[in-house]
Amino acid sequence: MKTPARILADQVNRIQKSGRFSPRSASLPTWCPGCGYFGIHQGLNDCISRLGLPLAEIVTVSGIGCAGRYPFFSNTYGLHTVHGRALPAATGVKLANPNLTVFAVGGDGDGLAIGGGHLPHIARRNIDVNYLLFDNSIYGLTKGQPSPSSPIGTKTKASPYGTVDKPLNATLMALSYGASFVARLFAGDPKGITEALIEGVRNPGFSFFHIYTTCVTFDKNFKTWTHLKEWTHALSQDYNPNDLRRAFNEVLNDDFSLGVIFKRDI
Amino acid sequence: MPEVDFTVEVCGMAGDGTIAAGGLINEAMSLGGFSVLGFDSYPAEIRGFGRCVTNSRIGSNDIVALGEKTHALISLNDEQSRSRAPFLAEHSLVFFDSNPPAYVSEDNSLLSVLPPGEEVFGMPFGELAVGASGSSRGRNLTALGGFAAVTGTDPNLFRKVIRDKFKSKGEKVVNINVKSFDAGYQYALEKFSDRLKSVFPKIETGHDPQKVTLSGNQAIGMAAIDAGLKLYFGYPITPATPIMEYLAKYLPEHGGRVVQMEDEISSIGAVLGSFYAGARSMTATSGPGFALMTELITHGVMAEIPAVILDAQRGGPATGLPTKTEQSDLHAAVFGGPGDSARIVIAPTNVEECYHFVIRSFQLAEKYQTPVIVLTDFFLDNRVENRPFIRASEGQAASWNVFPDDAFKDRYQRYADTPSGISPRALPGMQGFNFTATGLEHTEKGSPDYSSENHAKMSEKRHRKIRYALKDLEKPAEFFVSDNLDVGVIGWGSTFGSVLEAVEKSRKNGFKVGALKITSLFPYHSETIKAFMAKSRRVLVPELNYEGQLANLIAHLDSKPVERLNFVTGAPIPPSAIQNRIEELLEVVA
Repeated sequence: MKTPARILADQVNRIQKSGRFSPRSASLPTWCPGCGYFGIHQGLNDCISRLGLPLAEIVTVSGIGCAGRYPFFSNTYGLHTVHGRALPAATGVKLANPNLTVFAVGGDGDGLAIGGGHLPHIARRNIDVNYLLFDNSIYGLTKGQPSPSSPIGTKTKASPYGTVDKPLNATLMALSYGASFVARLFAGDPKGITEALIEGVRNPGFSFFHIYTTCVTFDKNFKTWTHLKEWTHALSQDYNPNDLRRAFNEVLNDDFSLGVIFKRDI
Repeated sequence: MPEVDFTVEVCGMAGDGTIAAGGLINEAMSLGGFSVLGFDSYPAEIRGFGRCVTNSRIGSNDIVALGEKTHALISLNDEQSRSRAPFLAEHSLVFFDSNPPAYVSEDNSLLSVLPPGEEVFGMPFGELAVGASGSSRGRNLTALGGFAAVTGTDPNLFRKVIRDKFKSKGEKVVNINVKSFDAGYQYALEKFSDRLKSVFPKIETGHDPQKVTLSGNQAIGMAAIDAGLKLYFGYPITPATPIMEYLAKYLPEHGGRVVQMEDEISSIGAVLGSFYAGARSMTATSGPGFALMTELITHGVMAEIPAVILDAQRGGPATGLPTKTEQSDLHAAVFGGPGDSARIVIAPTNVEECYHFVIRSFQLAEKYQTPVIVLTDFFLDNRVENRPFIRASEGQAASWNVFPDDAFKDRYQRYADTPSGISPRALPGMQGFNFTATGLEHTEKGSPDYSSENHAKMSEKRHRKIRYALKDLEKPAEFFVSDNLDVGVIGWGSTFGSVLEAVEKSRKNGFKVGALKITSLFPYHSETIKAFMAKSRRVLVPELNYEGQLANLIAHLDSKPVERLNFVTGAPIPPSAIQNRIEELLEVVA
């Protein structure tokens, strides 16, 4: 005989199995096995679950690239736009319906090269969009060309003699543009991503998440799992994210400290 | 009452108050019960470099095109006005400053280039203004006073519109300006007492209160507000900027917002984002900005997201002629961008249509879930008309959104392949309809799919939807059409007024001529156009572009060649040029 408790447990089980309330879409991600994006996916999904946000009231906006496919792997509403234009579209979505929680996702090519002109403006308008920049310093979907964050000397098929351009530092840019919330994170630490996202989603303005990640297929030298694990470390215990000057110092002195770098006092 | 058809020009240097004076003439004549069509041309430079000219055609009957010959010229700067002398009709009235400011050089007098027979009225505009107000800034108003006195216009019309114009600046400013006008009026009455005319008799019926003096840009801004616009995203560009400025001023009080974006790409991106989330939004631009938008416009086509884009055309290509008019973005509007990206393109032909078409564009975008491009041009945006103007009710501007039925909850197919091609569209926030809109080719469900069968099926669906939209698009309108015509003239956009006037005049000369006005440019009503071409022995398409872009679009509909009349002078087509071409063709036909 089924007790009421058993019936309830069965129902909970069925709902969990149906995936109806899971932010994780039934379509499996098409990223390469071992890709850092799985860690970011985990981190963002956990943030949504922990905040208990209704999936129908979240919009995930993306541009083009491996990260551009993100909305298909999420059960939220999704808007997969053209290359580099996630931020303007996200601006439109948020202003049209401020009740929605808006995530914009994209890679370093999408956000720092073709779409690089939009970052300063969404930051200075302080639109309440949460922007996750997946920074692996390589163009993956077009099969391995240097990106604006590749270090000098990066050798690819498109730069056989090594690149000569200086890399951009997205965290430093976001601070300079006046973003009201800036965090630097690592795809190998989904828990850290979740914690920072929860804080950032609660920030009623533009929140920028610079996430170091890997491209296991096209980058065997720079942002590998081994290197990133070795290089990254938490911000010091006594770090105060409300101090913009200190934030600049931190970012100028250390490329790999992780955590909430800056948070404007409200 | 004798028929009035009178054209006045005011010409001066940027900064002389030329545009303001022209605007007051339009308002005063409209108040007097006349039909008015006004058009300003101004330089790209702000002050001190260029010539400003306003042209106002004033009539007792409806005015649909600009005047070609000037009957009165008010010169605020002779050096600039010399260029207007060739446009003067015989025995026209010329008002000039008999004691011009020091910056106008003496050897540049207007009088030396005037043909004999013009009636000249020299008045010390500046001194009269100083006498009346203590400042020479009111020169343009003393000139208007002279014009009103000599043409026999009721001075109260001018006093009223001057008061209205300056009332926001306080009683003192109003009085100073009215005094300046009166000083000119009195001076001219006395000085030219033996040469006063009666050009503008008092119209007994007076002003039709439904007649509103509006520019195309104002009508577009009003339409956006009446359509319940929530968000305007734009980037400054001539000649579309006045739309943004109008909305920036008036939209907030109606609950909307104007956001000046970082470029045209982000403007259209944000428009798509906000329509995706369910809010009416729009952007307005001109050719160079439109070119930047094309990729995202095709994203709207592919992802089936509504958008309203107004392209106020100017001379091109590239930066081209920012302050001149042209109709050369038609191909870009219809075909611009990657892939088979059929969208809706409509073009109003007058100020009243600007208003109604913009309201309709939101509804079309919502129902057909595709970008709708409204094509205007510099001449249409900046021309002023005073036609009976009835604003749309809330019902007339109602949403045409097609939402999914609750029965489809949890098994919703965003891009369902329906007979009309229209798939009900869910908005974020609706539970159980979550989907991802994408610019990748996708299945009915919305998942990326590059298979041959799927691309063929979904391309067909999107094009079927656009063809289906024809039933909601305005049909071409026929004017003076009988079973057979010697010449059928097809016009679109700002040019149509000239077409209509030319056809009317040719008919008065006894010729069998008719006109067809096309306002739906894509998709277009090929059967109606075909029938019109079939009953015309010759077909003429006058356009403001080099090759004949509308002619290119419709030439295949009939076996006889389409005659093209193309102007790329940066100015509107004079009706007489079309009339001459019609009559040339008639000689060949005969």
